[in-house]
Amino acid sequence: MGRIWPFHGGVHPPENKQQSNQPAIVTMRVPKQLVLPLNQHIGAPAKCLLEVGTKVLKGQLIASAQGFVSANIHAPSSGTITAIEERTLPHPSALVGPCIVIDTDGQEQWIDHAGIDPLSVDKGELLQCIRSAGITGMGGAGFPSAVKLQAKTQINMLIINAAECEPYITADDRLIREYSEQIIAGIQIIRQLLNQPACIIGIEDNKAEAIAILSQALTGIDGIEVAVIPTKYPSGGEKQLIQILTGQQVPHGGIPADLGLVCHNVGTAKAIADAVLLGQPLISRVTTVTGKAAAKAGNYQVLIGTQVSDLMAFAEVDLASTSRLVMGGPMMGFTLTDHQVSVVKSTNCILASSALELAPVADHHACIRCGQCEVVCPAELLPQQLFWFAKAEEFDKAQSHNLADCIECGACAWVCPSQIPLVQYYRFAKGRVKTLHAETQLAEHARLRFETREQRLIDDKLAKEEKRKARAVAAAAAQAAKRAANPDAEDPIAAALARVNQQKQAPATSVTAEPPEDAYKALKTAAAITRTKLKKSSKALSDALASGHDQVESLQTTVDQLTLKANAAQAALSAYETKLGLDPEHEKQLQVAAAKAGVVVRKLEKSLAIAEDAATIEAQIVTAKTAHATANQALEAYQHKSTALQQQTQES
Amino acid sequence: MALLNLSSPHHHSLNRTSRLMMWVLLATVPGLLAQSYWFGYGTLINLIWACALAVSFEALVLWLRKRPIKPFISDGSALVTAFLLALALPPFSPWWLTFVAVLFAIVFAKHLYGGLGNNPFNPAMVGYALCLIAFPVSMTQWAGTESTLNLAQQWQWFWTETMSGGIDGYTQATPLDLMRHPKGLTLDELAATNPLLGLGLTASAWINAAYLVGGLGLLALRIFTWHAPVAMLASLGLCSGLFHMGEPDLYPSASQHLFSGATMLAAFFIVTDPVTSATSRKGKLIFGASVGLLVFIIRSYGAYPDAFAFAILLMNLAAPLIDTYTQPKAYGHQGNKDNER
Ligand code: SF4
Ligand code: SF4
Repeated sequence: MGRIWPFHGGVHPPENKQQSNQPAIVTMRVPKQLVLPLNQHIGAPAKCLLEVGTKVLKGQLIASAQGFVSANIHAPSSGTITAIEERTLPHPSALVGPCIVIDTDGQEQWIDHAGIDPLSVDKGELLQCIRSAGITGMGGAGFPSAVKLQAKTQINMLIINAAECEPYITADDRLIREYSEQIIAGIQIIRQLLNQPACIIGIEDNKAEAIAILSQALTGIDGIEVAVIPTKYPSGGEKQLIQILTGQQVPHGGIPADLGLVCHNVGTAKAIADAVLLGQPLISRVTTVTGKAAAKAGNYQVLIGTQVSDLMAFAEVDLASTSRLVMGGPMMGFTLTDHQVSVVKSTNCILASSALELAPVADHHACIRCGQCEVVCPAELLPQQLFWFAKAEEFDKAQSHNLADCIECGACAWVCPSQIPLVQYYRFAKGRVKTLHAETQLAEHARLRFETREQRLIDDKLAKEEKRKARAVAAAAAQAAKRAANPDAEDPIAAALARVNQQKQAPATSVTAEPPEDAYKALKTAAAITRTKLKKSSKALSDALASGHDQVESLQTTVDQLTLKANAAQAALSAYETKLGLDPEHEKQLQVAAAKAGVVVRKLEKSLAIAEDAATIEAQIVTAKTAHATANQALEAYQHKSTALQQQTQES
Repeated sequence: MALLNLSSPHHHSLNRTSRLMMWVLLATVPGLLAQSYWFGYGTLINLIWACALAVSFEALVLWLRKRPIKPFISDGSALVTAFLLALALPPFSPWWLTFVAVLFAIVFAKHLYGGLGNNPFNPAMVGYALCLIAFPVSMTQWAGTESTLNLAQQWQWFWTETMSGGIDGYTQATPLDLMRHPKGLTLDELAATNPLLGLGLTASAWINAAYLVGGLGLLALRIFTWHAPVAMLASLGLCSGLFHMGEPDLYPSASQHLFSGATMLAAFFIVTDPVTSATSRKGKLIFGASVGLLVFIIRSYGAYPDAFAFAILLMNLAAPLIDTYTQPKAYGHQGNKDNER
């Protein structure tokens, strides 16, 4: 057996496993109605494929995965789809969401299905088989398993999580005792997909019988070993289990695959074996029903979509004496206030506790900074500091104390002598951090949208200007065409220059004199015309050269002449531009800068309305306003300068 | 039954603040008995009086602050403050001295800062330090070991501060005080000329040993971690040991430092006060070691015979800073180099 490493912290809550780990798994009868949430997994919700009224067979695909991280959903039993509607989801905040409702017919009529021999198919097919079976992590989070089996990096070790460290829950324990062969077959399929990495099954030492059965089943099988780890909550947390078995920590922000590791739950391994070897999609799971209020505490093979109320009735839970109904374990599970919610793919436990069993905490005391929470925190955080920051709503400090690394295991709250509901504070803080983040992103979006719009308006203006110029060019071209008839006639550059000169001599008030802008335009036009002419002639020349035409020589001369003219025109234009001191680029930049500064002012004014910290924002506004004013001044000064220059030109 | 809607975890350990406080109170009993054995009934009278005052002040302030009285009183923190003050004040404290100390500890140092958990300074030490500055004579009038007052005499002194034949026959400078003012003698000569020093040191050693026993008990119960007390005793022992090695005639030995004055009381009952010390394990090491160092410096060069109150208050001030710089590395934030296979 390999080495075992310790992890920081952890607690030893009473295990309370013997209530439910004795009886064998009982298959629950088919309930009258199944309600299948379209989003039972992490990722995008599945899309319903069928309509109300459709008859479905057991195992038939009824909703398909949308996107890479998503999972198919199959009919857990035969019957009729009677509704597709919003129902309460098994979720801590009792959200509602779309669900497919199937009224079962009790026939349990299977759709045609058949297993495949994993050794005779290629990986792609194997993976497809697992993907289409809709398998998600069975340990709690419900991450689509196929995604994890498609690791891009080299996987050196497969870790099978059988720790089951939460008190009360025994689903994995019973599963191992009764289905060890299938679990090992599933592990072998996973290993085949990942190029045969070594495999360690991590299991807490409080499951002696399961360990014995597993070791027995593994005799003669190479590459899979059982690592018996000390019972300590939360050793079954993915990150903690990795540390226990490899001594490595998953880097912050990383995933186990970064270390060449992949972690799967035992239940997932069994589901994979069923999907590949039998062709059965994931339509049922083993769920523990336990607690003082459950007369028949034990483990049940439950169809996905079974209502918790039906399961409770089957396990003879006394509703009258149930004070706290928890989905999941006592450390990380969430309370249900409505029993009309479904057992989903990740539901490992229903804990119906009496009032004495999980006694509600009386008023909590002040934090005495005793540091016991820090001692037990497996994420090596300072829970008491996080608590102060969350309470004071100092979310930036909470973040710098690595709030995000809190796995919400509840160990800190469990030991806290002041009985502070610490995890609740952390969830609140995480939620706020998220919304704050979303808000800043929204604001950023709005800013970008606004700026794009401003830019577009400016661009539109410029485009209009261009068009106007183009029209002028066309008119000039028409005139030039007339003159072109006579090559000796006065050429447009000379004409334009002459006009400019004339203007210079003429008094500014002269009605006949063209305003400088027009002269400038004329020069531009002339330059454009010559360029076009040059282009045309060059084309003619190259054509002629290609066809060996006899006019080559004369064309060559024309091109040469035109080149000279074009250069001259451009030179004249540039000279004029310099004189006017115009720089179209610069003006545009200034306009954009002014617009941007304007945006900042408006944005800050808006946030002033909502922000409490008015003083600083006011100061920021003042700065921004100054920036805006400066930018506007610069623009104005520039425009002023250019007007003055133009006037100067006129006057001179 | 209506289903409860509560946040996880749904189960809770039996750990309670009041339980922690109760263990702390119990752990002071050996020291209390030892102190009473050597110095008479004074400490016991102090203790009862201080407890009554502390609970009354606490209730009064809670009422004034419109806080529920019962849950807060029952956390036991006021009693811990009262115990610490009673043990630290001289056995010959008159009633008003304890009154002032407890008043400042509970009302000013604790509640004016927002109550338990929010107070930056150890309340008992604030009360003690204040009295030390305001009433230096009463505060240094330590009981002698040779002859102790009987209960009636003690009671009379407690209320009236009068004594037929005067109190002088019963008071005595503490060993630390004697050693700090050797009047030109070496410590050996001092011990030879003043037989009381030896007796005082013996009494101190017994009392400190008793506190050590109580403290180790708390450590075994995991009421606090070993970091702060061990760091404090180590740094005090190291400093005094080094100086004693250099000039044994001037500086008392490490064992004399560790087993006299309030060393053990401070190490296990005051430095470990969670509210006002550093939070992380590394922070506690720094906190404890700094207290030890300051105690040595003040004992050796300061104007007061014992130095705990000031050393601890100074470090209380520094605790938030220590916390800022000793934030432990969270999971996944350290390189994996050390633990790679
Ligand atoms: S365990 Fe509770 S009382 Fe102690 S430091 Fe942590 S939050 Fe504060
Ligand atoms: S809930 Fe978070 S802070 Fe508390 S022990 Fe678990 S990881 Fe640490």
